[in-house]
Amino acid sequence: MKGIYLSHLPLSAKVFCTLFLLGIGLGSLAAFLQASTAVGLSYEDVKSSLAPEMPMMPMEHGQMSMEKEIDLGQISHTAKVWIRTPLLIQTSHTHLFGQTLIAGLLGLIFLFSSLGEWKKSIILALPFVGTLIDIGGMWLTRFIWQPFAVLVLIGGSTFALGYVLITAISLYELWLKRGARV
Amino acid sequence: MRPRQLAKTIGFALVFSLVLGRGAALAHITPPVILISDRDAVLSMTNGAKKFFVREVRLSPEERETLRKQLGWQADEEFYRFYLGRDEQGKVVAAVAFMTEFTIHGPVRVAVGLGPDGKVKDAKVVEMTEETYPWLKPLLDQDFTRNYVGQDSHGNFTMAAGHDGGQENMTLFYGQIVASLIQRAAGLFEIAVLKRGDI
Repeated sequence: MKGIYLSHLPLSAKVFCTLFLLGIGLGSLAAFLQASTAVGLSYEDVKSSLAPEMPMMPMEHGQMSMEKEIDLGQISHTAKVWIRTPLLIQTSHTHLFGQTLIAGLLGLIFLFSSLGEWKKSIILALPFVGTLIDIGGMWLTRFIWQPFAVLVLIGGSTFALGYVLITAISLYELWLKRGARV
Repeated sequence: MRPRQLAKTIGFALVFSLVLGRGAALAHITPPVILISDRDAVLSMTNGAKKFFVREVRLSPEERETLRKQLGWQADEEFYRFYLGRDEQGKVVAAVAFMTEFTIHGPVRVAVGLGPDGKVKDAKVVEMTEETYPWLKPLLDQDFTRNYVGQDSHGNFTMAAGHDGGQENMTLFYGQIVASLIQRAAGLFEIAVLKRGDI
């Protein structure tokens, strides 16, 4: 970009970029562990956490109550994170800001890559697009159609793909690319 | 970066992100602290029950308005669920409702056991977040929900009636939320079951 490339940055800037990228990577790893313990990582886990609670009996229009005998086994005995609308609003607000800032800082570093403009544009867009698909998928799952839960997984993967590409290419250019100045 | 190197990098990134990215999507949810499962809560609050039933109720606009006036609670869920324990003759031994309040620190969920007369038989906090837990723990250690046993929805559900003083502000704040949830369950049972004469 304008003749300034990662490989030609001064040592202090290289250290800064490297530590920032590694920090975000460790944060992602911690996020992965948290999600696996708090919510679960399968499509079914995501769907059951986000989908609205459904009645156990089909009540007809105008019917005010319904009762049926159940077996105690039908009552949940496991912990489940159920992401209801207020939590969804809270999560969307904090993480649209947070993830967009992370995507912005990743993109800022990547602007100085020596890749062609098209490749660079596509790769730096991935974390932004992933964030939008991730959060958007949560709302669509809750209010439109439960199978949209797959978008949450696609969004998370797109964000991670963007991070890994940006980090791998940036670290290569910072430290290994021929002509890299240390 | 040469095309071959770029292709290798993208291949590695795809595999890595498919694994890691699944977690990134849902990692922003504060982990819950679950103190008791729904099943165990129902079982412990319906002593003597031989059969178990689930009853789901919808509220009419008038019933919602009554709850709003009586408890200051906007009951806007599409339906509410009670678990009923009945004896061998089919008489209700107890009903259990799970009530949730969404706070800025995440949900607080309470199981409330009610007698057939609408009075609180038992109440347990079943879920909160890791952030809320340290505030509520002093009250949980005192088993403070016992202070509301025997009251119907018209009773005293203020924290003054439910703690021994000396608590910090956030503890009192969340204690009051729990107390209000217990009162809501009692009010809901009264309006949607007892007043309908449908028990």
